[in-house]
Amino acid sequence: MLDGPPPELRFRRRFHLGAFLRELWAARELVRTLGERDLRARYKQAALGFSWAVLTPLVYMVVFTVFFQRVADVETGDVPYALFAYLGLLPWTLFSSCVSLGGLSLVSNLSLLNKVYCPREVFPLASAGVAVTDTVAASLVLGILFAVHTYAPRATVVWVPVLLAVQLAFTLGVTLAVSAVVVYLRDLRHLIPIILQVGLFATPVAYGIDAVPGSARWVYALANPLAPVIDGYRRTVLYGTAPDWSLLGLGACSAAVVLVSGYSLFKRLETGFADVA
Amino acid sequence: MLRDGTVSAAHLWKRFRPDRGRTLLRDEVQRLGRRSRRGPAQPWAWALRDVGFELAPGESLGLVGANGSGKSTLLKILCRVMYPYAGRVEVAGRVGALIEVASGLHPDLSGRENAYLYGSLLGLGRREVAARFDEIIAFAEVDDAVDRQVKFYSSGMKMRLGFAVAAFLEPDLLLVDEVLAVGDASFQNRCLGRMREVLAQGTTLIYVSHDLPTVEATCARGLWLERGEVRSDGPVREVLGEYRRAVESEAELIARRGDGPLRVTRAAVTGDEGGVARTLEPLDVVLVIEAEQGWNTRLYLGVTEGPASPVLLFARDVFLDAGTTDVGLRVDALPLPRGRYFLWAGAFTRRDQELVPWAPVARFDVVGPDLAPTPRGVARLAPVHADAAWSVRGADRPHLAPAAADPAPTRADRVEFGGSSA
Repeated sequence: MLDGPPPELRFRRRFHLGAFLRELWAARELVRTLGERDLRARYKQAALGFSWAVLTPLVYMVVFTVFFQRVADVETGDVPYALFAYLGLLPWTLFSSCVSLGGLSLVSNLSLLNKVYCPREVFPLASAGVAVTDTVAASLVLGILFAVHTYAPRATVVWVPVLLAVQLAFTLGVTLAVSAVVVYLRDLRHLIPIILQVGLFATPVAYGIDAVPGSARWVYALANPLAPVIDGYRRTVLYGTAPDWSLLGLGACSAAVVLVSGYSLFKRLETGFADVA
Repeated sequence: MLRDGTVSAAHLWKRFRPDRGRTLLRDEVQRLGRRSRRGPAQPWAWALRDVGFELAPGESLGLVGANGSGKSTLLKILCRVMYPYAGRVEVAGRVGALIEVASGLHPDLSGRENAYLYGSLLGLGRREVAARFDEIIAFAEVDDAVDRQVKFYSSGMKMRLGFAVAAFLEPDLLLVDEVLAVGDASFQNRCLGRMREVLAQGTTLIYVSHDLPTVEATCARGLWLERGEVRSDGPVREVLGEYRRAVESEAELIARRGDGPLRVTRAAVTGDEGGVARTLEPLDVVLVIEAEQGWNTRLYLGVTEGPASPVLLFARDVFLDAGTTDVGLRVDALPLPRGRYFLWAGAFTRRDQELVPWAPVARFDVVGPDLAPTPRGVARLAPVHADAAWSVRGADRPHLAPAAADPAPTRADRVEFGGSSA
């Protein structure tokens, strides 16, 4: 009886980014179908349907406006605090629901994962699609808030796509890494909501970035790329100034590192998913 | 570039760690603690050892082996769900896998939505699924339930839909893993029929089942895995023959150790005058039964190919005195072709209460002619030999004369032909 294969036979998977991305592109239909499936399955069971997606940021906004503003007395200039808070809540909600839905997307699709081949990224990506849909629904409220406060977005809103790119890179990197690790360490799923809750207060959502002392701000931007992004949204949409490019640059570097390392961690762990499933 | 449907696997190894039951951070921490205290953790267990084979497009492979022999692991590696530890595997084209019933179905979605979902898992666009949608629904017989959520389907409907979707979306390689066991007989037949159709269209098929007659009927080639190693690879009849013999010799004749009120202490099967058993010659069976008290019993003796369903069955009411009784049975002309057979015995009261459970008690070989091979796609229920002579006339007299058949009259006591459907 042999007790193992000769080492030269060891299976090694070729790591070709191009091939991975091509395969992923070929599976775009699948991402859409899976995303649609999750949306449908969710809204078939929930009586309120899409209003759930709006409800979460809305409730936070009301809570922040009623309590946070009174207690902490956040300085927002001539911008209504509700708008200020909601503009921070939208990117935060996207991040948080991406991580919590996408983080569990592999675990909750194990029955598929274990029996059918497809590029495994489709599951977190489909969840991200669901989170984006929810956020789009929730941003309708932003329009209503602008109308209620008779406040209009500024022309510098053209910078938003840049901010969005940094935000999505960071969000996807974290989501991919979390989803892959949770397959191996299932009890981490209980940790996700706690960490996200802490993250909500570690991110300038209820307050502005100027609450952090100027000398520490660059560390803050590196550690939490969402901070310069949210600050950028407020500057461009509400105050009519350009983003703080140095802080945003740091955040973008950090987001790129997170995306690359999150994706390669995912690809490395991917080969063992079916073994532990 | 390989042609679509080609499968090439060489030196495949796959290992599992038996102690990796759960995957929790807590367990991982404990494992680290244990490792630091007393050496390495449990060794790896091999699920596949140096397995390799090649399939050309359109070939059909029947995969057999006991539970835990690595069949499902092999399938998972072939459909790229799992990665091997060592070795090389190449599969060209689209793979349709039916591993476990209704594996790809989502309970909250309707049958229609599930068909499209599975299609996109196989890499098909909406239009391609739509083109085959009616066929799928018709085959699965769920026409009036297509828009119902799958969680309200019966398990039969789920399985039919799962099979239909996998088999009608035209994969280049179709993997079918022991899924037909759940369906009713008519659906099983339709599935087997569909598998043959798919084969005829040039799809490569790998079929895993414990239902050996259907494997024999569907596949041209057999592969027998035992404890992760290839025991035998070749024409399906030869491989299944070897497999049957090995399985049955392992299931060693349990009933002799019976501890009920009756015990079979000896069982012997011989041909004429104690020689070897031969086709269409007499066969003698001797059974020695020990009883603690007198019993009015109905005694059954059967000849099987291994599984419980007999090819020949004999029954007789016997009064067994306390002590030892010799029971003899003589079959005048054994209607069995060459092969290995098993004698099964059982004893019951008149009210069908079990005294000796129906189980194999002896094994014997028959010497004689071989059976003619079956046409592709046809399963033979039981091997029965009848002497026959053909006569074929020439082209000027285009009639096939009826064969001078000798239906092997069996004059033995109460002979019945039982259908074997292992």
